[in-house]
Amino acid sequence: MTVKVEASAGKLPHNTLMIYGIIVALVGIYLTYLNVVTGVAVFSFFGGIGAIAALWWGSDTIKHLCSYGLGTGVPSAGMIAFGAGTIAMIAGTKFGIFSPIVTVILAAIIGAVIGYVANNIINMNIPVMVMSLVELSVVGALTMLGFAAMCTGTFMFNGLVIGGMTLSMEPSAAAAGGVQTFMVTVIPEFAGSLIGGAALAVIFFIGAMALQHPFNACLGPNESQDRTLMLAIEVGFLSMLIVAVMSFAFIDMMSAIVGLIVALLGWIYSYKTYIALSKRDAFAWLDSKPIIEVGGNQ
Amino acid sequence: MSALGGAAAGGDGINPTGTAVGIVILLVSIAATYALGFSIIPLIGIIVGGALIGFGVHFVPVGGAPAAMGQAPGIATGVAMLAAGAGLAGLFGGAWAYEATGDFAIAVVGGAVGGGLMMAITCLMVNATYVFAMGIPAASGKVDKDPITGDTFPAYKSQGTEGHGLPFISFFGGVVGGFITGLGGTLIYIELLDVYHAALPTIMQADPAAIEPLAVSLAGIFAIGFFLVNAVLAAYNITGTIEGPHDPKFKRVPRAVIGCAVASAFCGFISMLILVNTGM
Repeated sequence: MTVKVEASAGKLPHNTLMIYGIIVALVGIYLTYLNVVTGVAVFSFFGGIGAIAALWWGSDTIKHLCSYGLGTGVPSAGMIAFGAGTIAMIAGTKFGIFSPIVTVILAAIIGAVIGYVANNIINMNIPVMVMSLVELSVVGALTMLGFAAMCTGTFMFNGLVIGGMTLSMEPSAAAAGGVQTFMVTVIPEFAGSLIGGAALAVIFFIGAMALQHPFNACLGPNESQDRTLMLAIEVGFLSMLIVAVMSFAFIDMMSAIVGLIVALLGWIYSYKTYIALSKRDAFAWLDSKPIIEVGGNQ
Repeated sequence: MSALGGAAAGGDGINPTGTAVGIVILLVSIAATYALGFSIIPLIGIIVGGALIGFGVHFVPVGGAPAAMGQAPGIATGVAMLAAGAGLAGLFGGAWAYEATGDFAIAVVGGAVGGGLMMAITCLMVNATYVFAMGIPAASGKVDKDPITGDTFPAYKSQGTEGHGLPFISFFGGVVGGFITGLGGTLIYIELLDVYHAALPTIMQADPAAIEPLAVSLAGIFAIGFFLVNAVLAAYNITGTIEGPHDPKFKRVPRAVIGCAVASAFCGFISMLILVNTGM
């Protein structure tokens, strides 16, 4: 019992889309490193832009995978993408400046193993399965890394787990001249951080919803690639809006407001464009026609 | 592009080559964990937990969209969503029990009871909706007689449907499924928590009490990730709908157990990597 899912041929080839997606996502995440270089956190929002690029690419990957009728619904693909992605992302952040690259490599390896398990042990026998799960794991990991970088201003493990520092002063021995000295130790505080406070779980689920929703909402005989991808961008900005609100807890007010304004403007623009595209596609069906059968494998 | 996945799931058999490669991946993951200087006991716990999740998901009666229209038995949503609901409810229960008692057995059983309870409530309310709101009796389409109560179904089954509602055997399967998945999820969480608890203070050079929230959050997030990976792999094995332990699709369960064990082993190895001091 599988639900028939039909996907449009697609105007932009999937591989081109994948290259754009991965490059923009990596560049976006790396641009947040400007925070470290310049000492201000206003560049954090680039992480969100990178995450949206990853989601944009992932929506097209889901379209390719789910055209094969998995029988489990489109959302399951988003869930496995983020399940694998979160493992790769947290392990990847340990590698300092190389974190985004290591995250991509780790996610690709995990995706390949899971894809092999699905295809050869569970006998799914779907030709695009391994490649799709590799891509989806990378998308999940990059989306989480991008949003985490936007939220905290850094993509490195210590920045994600240390919420703040408290100073502890203990009286030390009296120095010469009768002056009391104090020994000051810096104690990192973990509960108020992105991972320590489990705020990463929110990013996990808003990211997974943003990944699974576009194709799930747009699938059908009238599906068109530009509308699906515009919805991916729209939902991506909506998630970015939530991340921007969350970032008030982690970065300074000014930087968080910049992120909020970018997300809001992006969302308004993409929402308007998406509605326009929806009206265009709806108009094309004004005189209802029989469902178009697209022949061939694609 | 039209749907091509007619024969997507290749029957009920086991693919020998794929399984052999999978077991090699599993052993390599264990060996790599050992080579990095970690104890392999937690990884074994994670593998067992993953296999339990893959096994338990097959008990849960999943109806999908047809069930929402009263045309197939089961709960009207997808496998991944149901499994995540049951497993996460169990995981929260187990995590709380571990926090409160610190006892391994109580925590694992607490997680199992949490998952089972969640599924029992879901099944009860689903059946109430089916019977009193949709006005359909419970009838299985796969068997003529309920294996537990002995109720007969054919007279109640509407023509043109695969059965409808939630017969007792499916209800029973749901509770057992929730119990087993909750147990597996909690096992993974506790194993990870113990590892992080022991190793994070050294690697972060921090006080064990201060690191506590970080260890809990990391173990929790990883457990959710593991859980979703295993649940979706089991869902792929089921391909759509299953009525419960009496469904012929239940025979596919060994594949899912092996698959989930392999995936858990590898993901478990990766989750240990955060304890490696990279010096960055």
